[in-house]
Amino acid sequence: MKMKLESFWHDHWRGAIVALAILAVAVCTISLAIGFYSLSFSDVFTYVFSPITGNTDYAYLTPTVVHNIRLPRILSAMMIGAALSVSGCAYQGMFRNPLVSPDVLGVSSAAGAGAATAITLGWSSLGVQAAAFVSGTVMVFLAVAIARRSHHNQTLALVLTGIMIGSLCNAVTTWLKYIADPNESLAEITFWLMGSLIKVDMYAVKLAIWPMLIGFILIWLMRYRLNILVLDDEEAISMGVNIRRDRTLVIIAATLLSAAAVCLGGLIGWVGLMIPHICRAIVGADYRKLIPVSALLGGIFLVLVDDLARSMMIMEIPIGILTSLVGAPFFIMLILKKRKI
Amino acid sequence: MKIEVKKITGGYGKKIVCRDISFELSSGEVICVAGPNGSGKSTLFRLMLRFNPLLTGDILFDGRSLTEMSQKELAKFLAYIPQNHNPVFAYSVLEVVLMGRANHFSAFSVPKSVDEQVAISCLRRLGIEQLARQNYTELSGGQRQLVMIARAMAQEAQVLIMDEPASSLDYANSQIVLEAVMDLRDEGYAVLMSTHSMDTPFSCADKVLLLQEGRVRAFGQPLETLTPENLEEVYGLPMDVVEVHDRFDRPRHLCMPVRR
Repeated sequence: MKMKLESFWHDHWRGAIVALAILAVAVCTISLAIGFYSLSFSDVFTYVFSPITGNTDYAYLTPTVVHNIRLPRILSAMMIGAALSVSGCAYQGMFRNPLVSPDVLGVSSAAGAGAATAITLGWSSLGVQAAAFVSGTVMVFLAVAIARRSHHNQTLALVLTGIMIGSLCNAVTTWLKYIADPNESLAEITFWLMGSLIKVDMYAVKLAIWPMLIGFILIWLMRYRLNILVLDDEEAISMGVNIRRDRTLVIIAATLLSAAAVCLGGLIGWVGLMIPHICRAIVGADYRKLIPVSALLGGIFLVLVDDLARSMMIMEIPIGILTSLVGAPFFIMLILKKRKI
Repeated sequence: MKIEVKKITGGYGKKIVCRDISFELSSGEVICVAGPNGSGKSTLFRLMLRFNPLLTGDILFDGRSLTEMSQKELAKFLAYIPQNHNPVFAYSVLEVVLMGRANHFSAFSVPKSVDEQVAISCLRRLGIEQLARQNYTELSGGQRQLVMIARAMAQEAQVLIMDEPASSLDYANSQIVLEAVMDLRDEGYAVLMSTHSMDTPFSCADKVLLLQEGRVRAFGQPLETLTPENLEEVYGLPMDVVEVHDRFDRPRHLCMPVRR
């Protein structure tokens, strides 16, 4: 069965990507009808298609709920899921390690520290987002700049520097939590670090989409070159590849993606680790297939998890908690079933 | 196609491993690089592939100096076949061979169907076409080595540098790989390979470069280079080179240590 599935993907992967894209649109549309305020599917569909059909026979509040509350959430879940999965794919290949996640270079910790600082200083939510994004990207580039000075194993130097900078940033965050006002900023910092889409609005989505687009386009263009970056440095060099330049470009792209994802939704774990694994098991290791498939599957996954987060209980569950609840058992299952990772 | 290695010296940082090494390699020629561990075989390859910088000397590729070539240009002359290639992810054989084409399109592009055709024809020339869709990770050591050779052929370089291609393989597999090397020579490739086996040079090398402590001890035909005197000097063991005949009465030479 596994063999069959694999060869099916091998022969029909372009069609499968189109099918996944259609599925993504369908999942998003259906998700518009899920949430606290009850809207029926027919209300949603009537509203969505009303520009074409001219039929305006939907519940009075439908446009407000769809536009102001649900659409930004669903869009951001799609974007975050895709961004985290794609940057996870890229980092796993570049570090030749399937256990690497998008925050391997400390981008989450750095963004968290930036956000915590902005919250402590009492900045607006836009300011918090900007601080998270800037500190996430700046710290990763700092790690890259430091690692480039190493004459030995660049990859190892990069991972170690990333871990150091990450722990430095975690220390800052912990200290800020320690001195924070327990009634206001502490709650807000904790909430931000949990990862949640409760506060996203269209404005935030419009801001985050730019760095994400740049990251997606760059990685899409380099999707074949990512395969070469999986090779040992020396093998790649002997093939005439400028591995330093290419690796730097991929790090820039992956960092833009993960930093934008983190500043939109806080720390949402597991997606960037889990989705690339699943996709690799389905379509194989070639990044030409892996990148589009994990972008789509990652987006669909996070939209579905967010649907759960919104509808499982009366009070909303932060999505970061849910992804971990789903993610950890998934990995245990993977180990038990395949006896390897 | 001719490579002239002229008095090159180099190593790791300030630690010099290879000194004053000179030799020539032409199309249709196999040169075995022999010598004990630490004699500079791998370092010589690293200098030629420019993984480590040359301190002095020069290497000429059809008269063009290594120092004035970009890495991309160098890859058109030299292909490197590593001893162990341990992939983390399960690429198919065809995907691995296709990677050899990386030099033929930009970082922002993907392989064309032409590249795929070249990859398949490389597999066909080695007689391992049927492996194309298998996972590289599931192959035997000998098959993997053949796939690495196919990848180097896909790169379309005329000179193949092989780091101990047969050393980690069992007897039959190492023979298969060495057969492939000789077929490549007959196709006009130049092959430079390091070896620990003293029999390999006699059966498949045109010339031997015998290294001792980073210097050339001898360079020339196997029988002139691997003499009992040279071998005893380099390895510190008394050795004999004997002539034997196979079942078709064809002569060949074997090298063996002599027990005192």
